[in-house]
Amino acid sequence: MMNRARALTLFALTFATIGLAGFTVAGFKYDRNNIIEKTISDFRLKNVDGSSISLSDYPNAKGFIIIFTCNHCPFAKLYTKRLNKLSKMFDSLGVPLLAINSMDTAIYEDENFQKMQEIALAEKYNFPYLYDNMQTVVKDFKADHTPHAFIIWKENEVWKIKYSGAIDDNGQDPEIATPFISDAVEELLQGKKVAKSVTSSVGCRIFYRK
Amino acid sequence: MKKNILNLAIIVFIAFSSNNANAQYNTLWIPDTLSGTHFELTLKDTFAQFKTGNQTISAGVNNSKFWGPTLFFNKEDTVYMKVKNKLNDSTTLHWHGMHLPAVMDGGPHQVIPPGTIWQPYWKVTNNASTYWYHPHLHTMTQEQLTKGLGGFIIVRDQHESSLALPRSYGVDDIPLVLTSRRYNASNAFVTTKCSYGDYMLTNGTPNAQTDLPKQFVRLRILNAEMERAYNLGFSDNRTFYIIATDGGLVNTPVAVTKVILAVGERIEILVDLSNDAVGSSLDLEAYNSGFAIGFPGGEPGTTGEFGSLLNNTTFNLLHINVVAQTNNAIKSIPSTLANNTYWTAADATVSRTIKVTDGNPGPNSKPFSLDSQPFDLTQINNTVNLNTIEKWTITNNNVFGHTFHIHDVEFKIVSRSGSSVGNYEAGWKDVLYLPRNTSATFVAKFDDYSDSIHPFMYHCHFSNHEDGGMMGQFVVKSSTTGINKIEEELNDFSIYPNPSSEKIYIKFGSPLMQAYYIKINNSFGRTIYMLPRPQLQNGIDISNLSPGLYFLQLTDEKTKGTITKKFIVE
Repeated sequence: MMNRARALTLFALTFATIGLAGFTVAGFKYDRNNIIEKTISDFRLKNVDGSSISLSDYPNAKGFIIIFTCNHCPFAKLYTKRLNKLSKMFDSLGVPLLAINSMDTAIYEDENFQKMQEIALAEKYNFPYLYDNMQTVVKDFKADHTPHAFIIWKENEVWKIKYSGAIDDNGQDPEIATPFISDAVEELLQGKKVAKSVTSSVGCRIFYRK
Repeated sequence: MKKNILNLAIIVFIAFSSNNANAQYNTLWIPDTLSGTHFELTLKDTFAQFKTGNQTISAGVNNSKFWGPTLFFNKEDTVYMKVKNKLNDSTTLHWHGMHLPAVMDGGPHQVIPPGTIWQPYWKVTNNASTYWYHPHLHTMTQEQLTKGLGGFIIVRDQHESSLALPRSYGVDDIPLVLTSRRYNASNAFVTTKCSYGDYMLTNGTPNAQTDLPKQFVRLRILNAEMERAYNLGFSDNRTFYIIATDGGLVNTPVAVTKVILAVGERIEILVDLSNDAVGSSLDLEAYNSGFAIGFPGGEPGTTGEFGSLLNNTTFNLLHINVVAQTNNAIKSIPSTLANNTYWTAADATVSRTIKVTDGNPGPNSKPFSLDSQPFDLTQINNTVNLNTIEKWTITNNNVFGHTFHIHDVEFKIVSRSGSSVGNYEAGWKDVLYLPRNTSATFVAKFDDYSDSIHPFMYHCHFSNHEDGGMMGQFVVKSSTTGINKIEEELNDFSIYPNPSSEKIYIKFGSPLMQAYYIKINNSFGRTIYMLPRPQLQNGIDISNLSPGLYFLQLTDEKTKGTITKKFIVE
């Protein structure tokens, strides 16, 4: 199968004069099982309130729930209330929630910062909603769809991935969903190993800018 | 556990209400209709409940969750399309079977980036029949089709309208799009290394049933699979009548008890329910077991890239419940449907041969290709002269069956190796089934539309084969639109009024200039409008653009040279 990025690049070169997409996008692959225990570098990103936020701003955090989400994806939109609930549940236990938008705004205009601010306000987000406009953080985590949830945990002063995948297993009905994230955070808080550490994230694909 | 109890509940397909009469079935969803001459299609990401548990990410058009509205066109009308891409990814939208200019065709060259509006238009010259629209982005067709992008186009014309045929959409004239899907553990569609689905979706409905009146009923059936062919028949082996193939009515109805419908093909059939008791039922089925190797979907395996739970078996496509006759019921079949005059092989002045190549299994396996040339967007494989009648022979001395589809034309199959041309495929076609170790020859006339740079495609309609490069492209050239040997000076143009808030107009510096393509970009380089051959006499509506600086990129028809000008929206 022809490489998609190459196909589009060739295409853009050939037909640039009649006006087609100038950007190149690429999917990527990674071994989901390999991401567990990966060390995550600290980062600093702009929050919707204008502040900038880094993991190091939380010296007492035991871990973080990191959610790669976005503005427009219909599946991500199903989870806004659940994110508020997760944040409320675990923030006081030393596991804050950080939502990150890493979508390529060159591809999808609605992913811009102003729209992020509007959504955070409308949905009364009780957690930071961070703008990863250079896609450096998403590439470190290798998130693939929105929403894609991670739990990172502090071990020997470094942050290690302990969970990667979906928030739960039912977008439409939280009542019948298996709560992957809260189960995993509970286990980590009890000093246990996460039983189900890898699931598939379901939603809109995050395209990585070259 | 509450979860377990609820998981045991009957699957309710949320987009389409379930029918209480027969709990194991779900009511067949009938796509909405759009008609007139101006059509707005918004392509977007969405999700639907196909299985118990998590929802499945899908793609819809306008308000649909999977598969789009049916477009009704009248022959001779000029139709204006406004296609807005609100997907997360680039796409294209191809008007399958339509005879139209290449620049309007929606093939792999007309990429619509997310957020962009593409506005093709054309005069409908096709005969009354069932056509469809679907994405055609090279290497991404399988994924986008799998998500459910596509829809029917039904063309009506005076002749077909004069015949006593069922045409109450959704009552006695039923569109049926047949496809199947495989789901992963999270209920997401599997889109790679998956030639066949495991679960049937008829109009996006799992285990579909519908009520049909006790009379002659017309089914417009499209195979929108990745690879699988359907050997269609009814559960009591009753005779039914083929009245139309891809490109129009056949001359006389063709009585059959089974017919193979391969990927991309359409067929319109009449089935007589007038002798069935109200309250009785029958099934439309795929009799897909027992085929020789090479039949798409005949593989015996149930898992893996080429296996499926539906392979090499008989399975249900639609459960039909017979209900009371309607007013104005059709009670007989016209003996004559059309008076098509077909071209013969003797009419052709140019002959071409295309071979199916590669695709052989083994360590150095290459994807299937045509003439050993994997598709290359930059390479024109064939040049056809405008108004020529050509004869194309497609040869498949290869390991597997395929379908062959050509854009721009409807063709007539004039011969097949080893067998005669079936009555069921005797009408106008744009897709043919090409079994293993056979060849087929068709004749087509390439008239009306020439374009020196925008090509038409020909390809296997198995989307995974097409994505893998089993596709070629041709341009149709007229003597006056060839690539210019003499360097012509590209004249200038101006935009007025500028600034503007409602409309802008183009004033050309020379009467020889004509707009081949206009693209409007905002100051970030994002394409807002793609306007192939825009009709400029009434200006370009810019009232939806937010205030700011924009760039209008105009490509001249004759020289294909491009000039960009700024304008301001206030």
